[in-house]
Amino acid sequence: MRQEDVSEIWFEYEGSPLKWHYPIGLLFDLHASNTALPWNITVHFKNFPEKDLLHCHSKDVIEAHFMACIKEADALKHKSQVINEMQKKDHKQLWMGLQNDKFEQFWAINRKLMEYIPEDSGFRYIPFRIYQATTERPFIQKLFRPVAPGGQLHTLGDLLKEVCPTAITPEDDEKTIQVMIHGIEPMLETPIQWLSEHMSYPDNFLHISIIPRPTD
Amino acid sequence: MSLNLGAEDNFFLDENRFKQYCEEFVKHSEEIGDAWEWRTIKDFPDGYMSKTHFQIKNRNIPPDLRQNVNETEEQTSFTHFEETMDDSQVAGVCAAAEVIRYEYHVLYSSSYQVPVLYFRACFLDGRPLTLDEIWEGVHECYQARLLEGPWDTITQQEHPLLGQPFFVLHPCRTNEFMASVLALSQKENRYMNYISSWLSIVGPVVGLNLPLSYAKLGSEQKTNID
Repeated sequence: MRQEDVSEIWFEYEGSPLKWHYPIGLLFDLHASNTALPWNITVHFKNFPEKDLLHCHSKDVIEAHFMACIKEADALKHKSQVINEMQKKDHKQLWMGLQNDKFEQFWAINRKLMEYIPEDSGFRYIPFRIYQATTERPFIQKLFRPVAPGGQLHTLGDLLKEVCPTAITPEDDEKTIQVMIHGIEPMLETPIQWLSEHMSYPDNFLHISIIPRPTD
Repeated sequence: MSLNLGAEDNFFLDENRFKQYCEEFVKHSEEIGDAWEWRTIKDFPDGYMSKTHFQIKNRNIPPDLRQNVNETEEQTSFTHFEETMDDSQVAGVCAAAEVIRYEYHVLYSSSYQVPVLYFRACFLDGRPLTLDEIWEGVHECYQARLLEGPWDTITQQEHPLLGQPFFVLHPCRTNEFMASVLALSQKENRYMNYISSWLSIVGPVVGLNLPLSYAKLGSEQKTNID
């Protein structure tokens, strides 16, 4: 291709432009979770869909987006106290650890974002987003406490019932839909605090997909 | 006003209060014809305030028509333009000018517990404006304010209810500049509509102006309730 014909790159799967600012695992869960790997997507060099996708002209844009998610997650978990106490170099280490696939470097900082004072039993609110490919609304995000006033731990099932009750009706249950995080279906009885600490994506959010269960 | 005063003296806005202030705001907007409306999305209780207005990007407008177009009046609407001219004049002006459609949405951020301003602009053929192109429409004095203000940069984000790209004034420091405004109104025991105060500060920076009558919202209430 000639240089002058090439404008901003973008990716698409079965007619849907893919949002680069979503984690790749989430995109796969949402669009193609029950297909065989490798996941075949189409790369475009022209006709950028302005109405659907954010522009991404440099790596800095990706870093800025990632850090904005980290900050928002900490606003929910710790009223931003932990992230604000860190220095700029710690923020940079988090991003570089992710970018260069350096587990230890990343977790040296990220573990602080996963801490909470023992008296609290958990974070202030859980950072999560629930996605359903069928709705126009891109995701649901609300305030949700991991611990009930009596001290009991809220579960994944509690979260779904509270935040999107229409998605899991008694008739639906586990027969017609799948509740998926990182490509697996955690038990609905799993404490949401545990999921937040152990199954969040690098941006510190739990990205949960609700998809139709395949009938085979 | 229930403002959840934490030990840190932060002034957070809860979602119900947000909706109440918006309702009052929209009601006043209807009274003065300012075109704000409340929108909801299917199957969910969430909603947001929305305003769309058109602006002519003035270029080469013939002198005899200039008096009808006040460059500093951002509220100049397309229909107003049409009423004062005949067809040939409209065609002539439109050929030389570009019509831009501005959209402003006020949403609630549960993460930061503050309102957030989303905005975008496009030409009538659908071509979106870049942030630089939008800046050209903002008065110089506000451009300075943007650079000096207690807010981070404006970035493109996904609209959380519509899923489309919008520009956003980042919400994480809203508390900083609202705190002193709120503290003063509390001290003077004077009612204040959070949304109109907040929008009067952030709006002009992105080309959105608020008629002064919004400042009188709720003035029948002499004191703050609860």
